Amino acid sequence: MAKTSMSATHKDISFTLNGRPVTALAGNHQNLVELLQEQGLFGARESCAQGLCGCCTVIVDGNAVSGCLTMATLVDGADVRTIEDTGADGKLDAVQQAFIETGAFQCGFCTPGFILMTRQLLDEHPNPDEDQIRHYLAGNLCRCAAYTEIIKAVKLAAKKRKG
Amino acid sequence: MIPFELAEPRTLKSALKLLETDDPSVRAFGGGTALILMMKAGVFQPTRLVSLRGIEKRYAKVASSKDGSLRIGALTTLSALGRVAAVKKSAPVIIDTLRTLSNVRVRNVATLGGHLAHGDPHMDLPPVLMALDAQVVTAAVSGSRTLAMGDLYTGYYETALARNELISEIIVPAQAGRRAAYMKVTTRAADDWPTLGIAVSLGVEGQTITDARIVVSAATEKPLRLAAAEAELRGATVDDAVLARVGEAAAAEVELTGDAHGTAAYKTELLRVYARRAVRKALAA
Repeated sequence: MAKTSMSATHKDISFTLNGRPVTALAGNHQNLVELLQEQGLFGARESCAQGLCGCCTVIVDGNAVSGCLTMATLVDGADVRTIEDTGADGKLDAVQQAFIETGAFQCGFCTPGFILMTRQLLDEHPNPDEDQIRHYLAGNLCRCAAYTEIIKAVKLAAKKRKG
Repeated sequence: MIPFELAEPRTLKSALKLLETDDPSVRAFGGGTALILMMKAGVFQPTRLVSLRGIEKRYAKVASSKDGSLRIGALTTLSALGRVAAVKKSAPVIIDTLRTLSNVRVRNVATLGGHLAHGDPHMDLPPVLMALDAQVVTAAVSGSRTLAMGDLYTGYYETALARNELISEIIVPAQAGRRAAYMKVTTRAADDWPTLGIAVSLGVEGQTITDARIVVSAATEKPLRLAAAEAELRGATVDDAVLARVGEAAAAEVELTGDAHGTAAYKTELLRVYARRAVRKALAA
């Protein structure tokens, strides 16, 4: 279907995507992952499609959400950040470095979600204990089962953030 | 999902007006996490949805009184609810329950009003709020009313709310020294949908239980008070024999439903055991 006209089922939206202003014609029935794909971003992946696995994690106005459960039109006016957001210096951050150093992934499909959720966790709890890490990341699934390394990575990232 | 219209009213009043329609597929939503799952599964196909996100911010606020009672705006997200110091002080069982209620991302957008209005018997907070003797305040064009939590649910995914009626506020009365606990039994991950949920609130004087509210959920069509189990506790001093009678009474008085999470017989055994554990957990709270 050509998206040439506004109707009650679609809406022209503008939002900030990784710091850059964008506009799009979004359908109410589209989810945020689909909208991001149209913008050429594939780091948020729809996997379980039920909000359970965390592969589609996106940061909207500073809060982690499941992109697969977010209506695309509802990000109108929002600040949207994805794993592709490299920050001002374009370098890997402490969390990404820690995941690489501990080998906290195998296939990497779930990694964007784990990285984004770990950043949120460390913003909320700069010194998380293992129980806090497990509870906070309980909604992220890694089918390669790299959980042991992921927990190590989170602890290492916490140390790295403190410098 | 198939295309649908989305209305984004700025006031509760205009949202309620949008619900004055004969079309049964017009629905309001807060966070939308539960509704979108139904739409993805194709079991719900709306012609129009009404987003409540843009209405007055006061419906997303939590107020507390000196006596410890709480008034929680229905649009308060579950994450925000978990961060309110007054909730932690007055009803720590709510904070404890939120910990394993779905996951951080869902809690960041799901609202308390939506959680209660959805009518899914697997939700964690309905049994807890019933045990705390909470009430819901509703709004409609025709006016407002107040319902006891126990009167909100009428069946499986069925509530006493009319199609043009929304929950606007949840009132948790002062708990005045009561002790409460919730236990969630899952068969897969800790934050999974419960196989069985059980909430307990106890009035205690010295070593004696003056009154008890016990609510079972998830394995029933709707959250249910367990009157016979409660009666075993009234006036009792808790010991193993009393707890055994509580478990037996609970298992005998309610018929549980089997599903993918376990057979009815298995869940009945869980209830027998967890009724005891939940009372112990409440006493230790």
